Amino acid sequence: MRDTKRFPRYWRLFPWRLRAAIALAVTLVAGTAASALLLQAGANPPDRIPSYVEWTPETLAAAAGGDAFRGMLLARRCDHCHGAEGFSAVGYTPNLAGIDRLAIWKELEDFRSHKRLSRDMNPIAESLSPRDVADVVAYFAKLPAFADPGDKRIFPQSRPDPGPAGIASRLVSFGDGERGIPPCQACHGPVGYRPGAPLLVNQNAEYVLNQLEAFASGERANDINMPMRTIAGLLTEDERHALAEYYGAGLGLEPASLTAPK
Amino acid sequence: MNWRKLRTFLLTVLALSLIPATRYYQIDVPLLHWLRGSRHVDPLSLHLMGEFVENNLGTEQDSDGSVTVRMIAQQYLFIPHCILIPAGVPVHLRITSADAVHWLAFDGTDYKVKALPGTISEAQLQFPHPGEYKMPCREFCGAGHYAMRSELKVVPREQFPVLQPGERSSCAGH
Repeated sequence: MRDTKRFPRYWRLFPWRLRAAIALAVTLVAGTAASALLLQAGANPPDRIPSYVEWTPETLAAAAGGDAFRGMLLARRCDHCHGAEGFSAVGYTPNLAGIDRLAIWKELEDFRSHKRLSRDMNPIAESLSPRDVADVVAYFAKLPAFADPGDKRIFPQSRPDPGPAGIASRLVSFGDGERGIPPCQACHGPVGYRPGAPLLVNQNAEYVLNQLEAFASGERANDINMPMRTIAGLLTEDERHALAEYYGAGLGLEPASLTAPK
Repeated sequence: MNWRKLRTFLLTVLALSLIPATRYYQIDVPLLHWLRGSRHVDPLSLHLMGEFVENNLGTEQDSDGSVTVRMIAQQYLFIPHCILIPAGVPVHLRITSADAVHWLAFDGTDYKVKALPGTISEAQLQFPHPGEYKMPCREFCGAGHYAMRSELKVVPREQFPVLQPGERSSCAGH
């Protein structure tokens, strides 16, 4: 007979095999936790992480689940710099009308985690809750990015002269296979799409140029797996200016308008 | 509740709790690495942890004189964009893809390495003479496929920089 004084009553629920299994499980869990801690402690130089955003299904759902109406109310704070209709009057501030949800969501996350630095945007992004971010993003994504005949908004940019536009439209449509520069439209639309890449329509020329130069110099380094740092570094100074003018003129989605009479 | 029911219940809980543990990317447990095999890598979190973080890409000098090259293939770039290796030493190439299937070819040689999302492809290469090779993608991967091309620079062994243990080298501009 078993000594019931030494073992509490519930102990009899566990046969020895189950006890052994539990002991094994506890040992394994403790061992893995301990070895994980040890591995982390003895790590090599710290990893350089460009952005904490990871395009898992959970992230996509969080970024896409915003309420555009609530976002409209919140976005009144953005009017001062980004314009009441998402078109900013200041060249170095980006237009947000019609920008892709995931792109602006990622930038707000990076501003919040200081992976992208901006004196103005870092505190603003920190003050927003995750729900606020999703709502604002939903609102800006709904704004129209194009001039239509009934539209009374003023688009600030003028048309470029054909020289740089020729360079730019070649890069946008075909890239440069010799140097290994992929076409812009393969990720920034309309041909292809990549999560986190903004659709470059009616973007401010000065802003595009600033960002290309910041990517090339490494001052901005929040692109996941560094595609933009690589490409901006391969572009020449003239090509960066040409591309900025091209997208600044609103040619992002309609290259045919370059030659068509208006 | 008898012990049989309890055992069934505990085993069910244990089995169910293993499903999210293998599903979630953030959990970096050595035991899971061992279960999944050393060539498993999560394509979505290459930039967050593991051997394909930014500052680990490029050429690493091993203690036996050979070099290890780590690359990411993604639409539509190979990162690093320019690879620098010394001539005449064994090169261990480790490449993975962040999105689609790519096929890294070395123009002028027979070497070809397929890059798949989720696994690390390994290849042993050797380039006896200094020179420059184009490394295009030879598997159609999307709209920018034909412009997806990187470069390999093979330099004489004495011109290759001496690297510190944590240091990686490449000839890309950044």
